[in-house]
Amino acid sequence: MTADNTTDKTGPHGEGPLLTIEDLRVDIASRERTVHALDGVSLSLAPGEALGIVGESGSGKTMTALSVLGLLPPGGEITGGRVLFDGRDLAAAPAPVLQDVRGDTIGMVFQDPLTSLNPTMTIGAQVAEPLLLHRPGIGRKEAWSRAEEMLRLVGMPQPAERMKVYPHQLSGGMRQRVAIAMALVCEPKLLIADEPTTALDVTTQHQILELVDDLRSRLGMALILVTHDLGVIAHRVDRVAVMYAGKVAEQASVRDLFERPRHRYTEALFSALPERAAAGAELHTIPGLPPGLVTRPTGCRFAPRCAFATDECRAGEPPLTDAGEPSAEHRFACFHPVPDEAASDEDVVRPAPALPAAAPGDVLLELDALVKEFPLKGGAFARSRGTVSAVGGVSLTIRRGETFGMVGESGCGKTTLGRIVAGLEEPTAGAVRFEGADPSRMSRAERRAHRRRVQLMFQDSTAAMDPRMRVGEILREPLVIQGVGDRTEQEERVAGLLDAVGLPRGAVHRYPHEFSGGQRQRLGLARALTLSPDLVVADEPVSALDVSVQAQILNLMRELQRERGLTYLFISHDLAVVRHLADTVGVMYLGRLVEAGPAEQVYARPLHPYTRGLLDTVNLPVVAAEGTAKPGPSPLKGETPSAARPPSGCRFRTRCPLAQDVCATTEPEVSTPNGGAHQVACHFPSASPRLASSV
Amino acid sequence: MTGFTGFLVKRILQAVVVLFLVSIIVFVLLHLLPGGPARAILGPKGTPQQIEHFNHQQGYDRSLPTQYLMYLKRLLTGDLGESFKLNSPVLDLLRQRLPKTLLLTVLSTVLAVVIAVPLGLLQAVRRGKASDYALTGLTFLLYATPVFFLGLIMIILFAQVMPILPAEAPQGETIADLLGDVTGLILPVVTMAFGIIAMFSRYMRSAVLDNLTEEYVRTAMAKGQSSRRIMGRHVLRNALIPLATLLGLYLPTLFSGALVVESMFNYPGMGLLFWNAAQGSDFPVLLGVTLVVGVATVVGSLLTDILYAVLDPRIRSVA
Repeated sequence: MTADNTTDKTGPHGEGPLLTIEDLRVDIASRERTVHALDGVSLSLAPGEALGIVGESGSGKTMTALSVLGLLPPGGEITGGRVLFDGRDLAAAPAPVLQDVRGDTIGMVFQDPLTSLNPTMTIGAQVAEPLLLHRPGIGRKEAWSRAEEMLRLVGMPQPAERMKVYPHQLSGGMRQRVAIAMALVCEPKLLIADEPTTALDVTTQHQILELVDDLRSRLGMALILVTHDLGVIAHRVDRVAVMYAGKVAEQASVRDLFERPRHRYTEALFSALPERAAAGAELHTIPGLPPGLVTRPTGCRFAPRCAFATDECRAGEPPLTDAGEPSAEHRFACFHPVPDEAASDEDVVRPAPALPAAAPGDVLLELDALVKEFPLKGGAFARSRGTVSAVGGVSLTIRRGETFGMVGESGCGKTTLGRIVAGLEEPTAGAVRFEGADPSRMSRAERRAHRRRVQLMFQDSTAAMDPRMRVGEILREPLVIQGVGDRTEQEERVAGLLDAVGLPRGAVHRYPHEFSGGQRQRLGLARALTLSPDLVVADEPVSALDVSVQAQILNLMRELQRERGLTYLFISHDLAVVRHLADTVGVMYLGRLVEAGPAEQVYARPLHPYTRGLLDTVNLPVVAAEGTAKPGPSPLKGETPSAARPPSGCRFRTRCPLAQDVCATTEPEVSTPNGGAHQVACHFPSASPRLASSV
Repeated sequence: MTGFTGFLVKRILQAVVVLFLVSIIVFVLLHLLPGGPARAILGPKGTPQQIEHFNHQQGYDRSLPTQYLMYLKRLLTGDLGESFKLNSPVLDLLRQRLPKTLLLTVLSTVLAVVIAVPLGLLQAVRRGKASDYALTGLTFLLYATPVFFLGLIMIILFAQVMPILPAEAPQGETIADLLGDVTGLILPVVTMAFGIIAMFSRYMRSAVLDNLTEEYVRTAMAKGQSSRRIMGRHVLRNALIPLATLLGLYLPTLFSGALVVESMFNYPGMGLLFWNAAQGSDFPVLLGVTLVVGVATVVGSLLTDILYAVLDPRIRSVA
């Protein structure tokens, strides 16, 4: 093992780094195989510094974070290297030493606040727990009052009362605040946050990142932020390490990395971002998949997917060097790096070219004052206690051949709307008209025939497929149900579909779980297209995918749309993805459509304060110009109210910076202050365009 | 009426409805007897006159709905009929025997839980190691062994090969009498507990394993808790929740398990009463016991709900 000598500037208690990871190797053994999850990772972190670790799933970013505290999953083992923290090697430390460090000098926050808190312990007990453990001197009472103080610090309203509640009584964002309070209550020197905002909504995400930033400067602690989201990393850390297939591919200051990426993988990753592509243009994709790491690949691990790979790359592993970089901090492992001067301007956001006014087709789908309410029942205990207003009167029009992008945070009713359009839910009131006909008034036979014209594509296509059916049967099933053709014709059609979505024909003999995430979405798309529908309702189809794979699927969807004249209702929380794909955009908030219109208009001149807030909240994967401040405080405060008791008048008024008395009393009418098809439901629509917006 | 009390009242009302249905079933059973109850009681030698007299005396010659109403009326006044063999009201018999069966059931359940919970925890912690496999094998063996066989082995081992315990349960009239002779209780209680331990420890093991993969356990580790305290403070309570369901649903089964154990050790409980009544076709007694088991079932599920709410704050707050 050749230790990387450059990190040897550490003295045990000197001025050197707080944390040094040297040549770390981690294996994860399961019954069938052993995965070499980390293969010689070296990183260092100065006191008070913020380091971002980015990478796609399977790159080893989370394993790196977990091995610092010895929290590897079952079967995981550190097989080599050192983790020096405060002069001690945590990789070789016995359990009691690790237990001393955990929660005291190093705090950790995990991804999913819904599952990472103990459901049967009160918030107070959980936040006070590290104190009772690591500060035996202080009594229970003191621990509780410090825990309460910590809750106040992380922005928990009424912390004293919240101490006594259980996790399920709090929202996701509030639970993540609790998790942060737990990690920080002993005032650690280092906070490790593993995808801390991935499970949260955009506005909540912004609030949490803001909070971590603020606490970091207040407590003077160092931070390791692990994320797949380049937008998050761009604004919250000093330095970034890009990981690929269990190794560090490139590390640099955040500015250097975003302005002058040198590794070909980093470059490819940036260009696959929908934010960086011109609207309507094809996205850059990275072909293929990351290696499985069961066997150690020879040569550069990115070589099989790299457009610049040569025999040299396939034969030998490139070392991590600073090859001629002015800053020794900028290091990368690539034989054919991006030339020094290039990159910067060429790839950075261009203003979208004006779209060729998509020949407006005839109206395909019309929703007229659509309402959906669900009765609210409380488990074993209850009778119905009112209703949840999931969709509160939505009217919109979708034209043939266009992509209608529906944006909103969780709970805004966008999924319910999609299910109604697909005929899976009956609306409580209002009408759906498909080519002028209301499916709910159709006869049974007509309805059956109508069903094939609207199909669904899901976020998790595997969960939406019978795990015991082979792909061939799954794709053929809709044809069998609808009685289309005989068996041979059906099989031919399935083979054609597999060609169209770029899967081998042999896939028919395999089961859904044998496919990777991206391949599953291809299957999901193929299944949706089996019956040659007119309209595909795609509900978050790419939100579970890595950036490089996401680009492949988005390109495929666009290509098939052109070839087959498809219409998409594309539902997503991701503003950049929607902007990339959609011709028309709708924004939903708490069951209401607050704004809708041509995509470029909505993004450039948002009329509704909610839309504006959402757009301002998005973390662009671009580093702010030198000297400008970090992103401002969250423009959207607070949380979405419960749909069981939506606010009177305008439902957004409780979080709106412009709210007046009239907003509470009168529901805003739809108006078109910008003219044309750009609609807004607001008493005080904004007139000015957004500045320098790029999402 | 708020929250939990409201829920309890509702569940008790439901229980009353269920018990009403149970009474109908018991009544129908009574009338399904071949040749009717008279034939069953007077035996094949009973003359037609005797049968007619008996039927008239018991009201069995009236219409079924009338009979049911009479039955229900007697039920409500606590009259469960009279044992033909023991010449004593069924209610008195039950009053005498039920507490003893309850004592047996409660003692063996408590013993079983006290052993099964740590045992399951231990197995989960040592998952895949030799001790886990050994204990798994042992519990499966126990689970598969019929109670009467287990009881026989216990008697042979501890009352004959090594005569340290009496093979017969104490025969006192009251609970105090029974408790006065604790050594006599050991064999029946332990025999009955074995089967329960086998089942509960399996459930406990898998509940703990499920919880160990939960992310809150990783969070607790990240706070610096030792594995021992993670078990005690975090995992135990969460793992007990599924066990609570099992306990409630298992209660009626325990009652019937008592039947075998009681007849084996000549333990003067309800099971033995039932056993003897079954052999002597003493139908009022059989039906009385059936009714009690019905009540136990309903109470068991009510108990489950309450335990659930105590253990799981998510359920509590729905109320």
